[in-house]
Amino acid sequence: MNLFRSLAPMGLALALLLPAAAPALAQQGPLRIQITEGVIEPLPFAVPNFVAETSGASQLAQDMARVIAADLSGTGLFREIPASAHISRVTSFDAPIAYNDWKAINAQALITGSVSASGDRVVVKFRLHDVFSDQPLGEGLQFAGSASGWRRMAHKVADVAYSRITGEGGYFDSRVVFVSETGPKNARAKRLAVMDYDGANVQYLTDSSSIVLAPRFSPTGDRILFTSYSTGFPRIYLMDVGSLATRSLAEQPGTMTFAPRFAPDGRTVAFSLEQGGNTDIYTLDTASGTRRQLTNSPSIETAPSYSPDGSQIVFESDRSGGQQLYIMPAGGGEPRRISNGAGRYGTPVWSPRGDLIAFTKQHQGRFHIGVMRTDGSEERLLTASFLDEGPTWAPNGRVLMFTREGAGAGGQPALYSVDISGRNLKKVPLSVPASDPAWSPLLP
Amino acid sequence: MDKGVIISGIGHFSLILWLLFGDWFFQPQHAPEVAVTSVSLMTSAEFDAMTSAATQPSEQRPTPSVEPEQPAPPPEEAAPAPAPAPVAETPPPLAPEPRPEPAPQPDAAPTAPEIAPVPEPEIAEAPEPLAPVAEVEQPILVPQSSPRPKPKPAPRVAPTPAPAPPPEAEVAEVPTPPVAPDPQTPAPEVVEEKPPAAPEEATTEIVTETTETEEVAQLAPTSSARPKVRPQRARAPEPAAEEPRPASTSRTETAAAEPAETPAERPERPAAETPRQNDSRAVEDALAEALGGGTEPASERPSAPARSGPPVTSGEKDAFRIAVQQCWNVGALSTEALATTVTVAMSMRQDGTPDAGSIRMIESRGGTDAGARQAFEAARRAIIRCGTRGFPLPPEKYDQWREVEMEFDPNGMRMK
Repeated sequence: MNLFRSLAPMGLALALLLPAAAPALAQQGPLRIQITEGVIEPLPFAVPNFVAETSGASQLAQDMARVIAADLSGTGLFREIPASAHISRVTSFDAPIAYNDWKAINAQALITGSVSASGDRVVVKFRLHDVFSDQPLGEGLQFAGSASGWRRMAHKVADVAYSRITGEGGYFDSRVVFVSETGPKNARAKRLAVMDYDGANVQYLTDSSSIVLAPRFSPTGDRILFTSYSTGFPRIYLMDVGSLATRSLAEQPGTMTFAPRFAPDGRTVAFSLEQGGNTDIYTLDTASGTRRQLTNSPSIETAPSYSPDGSQIVFESDRSGGQQLYIMPAGGGEPRRISNGAGRYGTPVWSPRGDLIAFTKQHQGRFHIGVMRTDGSEERLLTASFLDEGPTWAPNGRVLMFTREGAGAGGQPALYSVDISGRNLKKVPLSVPASDPAWSPLLP
Repeated sequence: MDKGVIISGIGHFSLILWLLFGDWFFQPQHAPEVAVTSVSLMTSAEFDAMTSAATQPSEQRPTPSVEPEQPAPPPEEAAPAPAPAPVAETPPPLAPEPRPEPAPQPDAAPTAPEIAPVPEPEIAEAPEPLAPVAEVEQPILVPQSSPRPKPKPAPRVAPTPAPAPPPEAEVAEVPTPPVAPDPQTPAPEVVEEKPPAAPEEATTEIVTETTETEEVAQLAPTSSARPKVRPQRARAPEPAAEEPRPASTSRTETAAAEPAETPAERPERPAAETPRQNDSRAVEDALAEALGGGTEPASERPSAPARSGPPVTSGEKDAFRIAVQQCWNVGALSTEALATTVTVAMSMRQDGTPDAGSIRMIESRGGTDAGARQAFEAARRAIIRCGTRGFPLPPEKYDQWREVEMEFDPNGMRMK
């Protein structure tokens, strides 16, 4: 020890004398800082009313700006700075932006635009600005369409803004098919209906003469699969959204078919078929009518959902005694169990991005919507209530919509959405009770 | 070459290396420092004279008038005994009132006559301990898991939680600077009252509905943990037990009877640093300062010309880092961008503001190009937003922070 202490000054002197040792200790080059902690909060943005370039477009310009702001704010990732706080006014789409005025109110993103209407034709131009960089974020764009489709144009503007800021695909210009429910719990009238993702523009596809369940969009959004009790037994049907023409699939006397879902190719349908008290998973070629059995087990296999590449199917089965999730090759084969937690798992749905599987979980008297990786790891429960079930993915794989129903005879079903982080849980504004949502792909 | 020359060369080279870097690789084993208390020698006659003087009531001594008015300090602060603290708990917030005087002199207390002569250890009439002293270390009952406070849901997730602002307060977008009266124009008659502003409520992690409604786990131990009994020791007898005493006086006496354990008499030293760390850091700092370098490991630096001037200290770096991270918002980043670490280089002005035009990405790891672009834009926003008023950097060391490279690693934020 003493030797060390006595030699330490010598070492110091040598270090001073030897230039070769200096680079090891001197601060060289730039100052280096590592940032590992940040904040997670909604990004403040501003959408001043769009400039009306024609006399009849002022209301439209105002409405479109409101829809864009609502779309972005509704994600939970953005926070709109109200117009009352704006310092500068945008009076011309091509006028230079006073970035300092927007910086002063902490607007980090700014969307400016203009709307012109000529007869039934509406043109909207817009530009996204990165305020603190003093420059536009990407090129300006414009959409044109009919006046009745102004909401879709606004959704598209919001999709572009969302995508440029977050780096993820948008999901605002999409629709959701669901089951509209009216009447008491023991005598519910159920109808198929579609709406914009935000609950606007509800349109009914069927009447309430028969019970309908589990509608599912095709990958192109032009057809809908659903289950109907019109014959007294559950049977799957295919509806063309444009004409509402409906036809039965997989008809076989003495059987029940349900839980259909399209394969990514849009041609094959996987579904459950009950025969003689046993339920297995089958596929059906909708063009040729060819049917193929994928599972053959005395247990109940149902709720199949394809992976985005169409190579695998996740489904629920009680073959191990409890209801759990399994994955098997799309052509059939030995399934492997992926859910390992306590409780019962059901209604698995593969994320459009392919990285996660959403599911319903029942555990200790509560229902949860959750997500896990495709190998069953990193399970996260996002919600908890008396009854949550039937998740469906937004086209970008970032948001889930599901059914929530309250307890008791008066408990009405409603649609809710939640971010996959578990934040931003909110009710979809609908005037009627609803269940069984299924999200469409992003509209063309 | 001659084998002897080679061996000699290797030996000399090894010796030089050891002299240079031996401190880093072979940390000297310092003996734990001994607490030293200065004492003074006196004769028995002096001692007797002193003690006899102490036993006489000294009316001449002024009694501190503030003593009775002092609030009774909380026992945690005044008790100098190292009470076992098995459970790491959040310390209670500091009371606004001033700390009580630490260990006043025993003769200053109003009950000075009670101070008895120091007895011989063998005749000490110490009170019986509450429980027998255990022969072996007693197990301490602790909860199975850390009783951390459950985070509350809040729209903002930040490194440090912030309470919800009062309902009447508005969350300020930006701090409102004080408005100076314009000498040219007369001051307005009516001053509009601004509502109070408060920072936005923040939590430290995302709280989902599931975790929010989860039942709180029973963290408490099944039986109460008894404090360990201090070994029996000599203690002054209570000579005047009949006389009532204010609470502060008895505490004063306790403190006076155990002078060796008074924290104030121990050498002050940061708890996190051992003497050995202290020494090695001191040597390292001295070397770094002599060579004009910082305290970062050498492996983190590229080979470039050394800068002159004193190095930026760790505290200054921390202040810089904290200033940037409070503006680094990763909430709107895609999953890919959250898996991408980007390194951003920039030039700084002497007033501490970044040159926005110089901010550029020099490296990205772990993600796609699109993810790197999003991550870089978020990093640039953070630097520009929080650098508007200048970062807290020492102007005299401008040469050290003229060029800055910042690595933004969001991997820890992904799991929030």
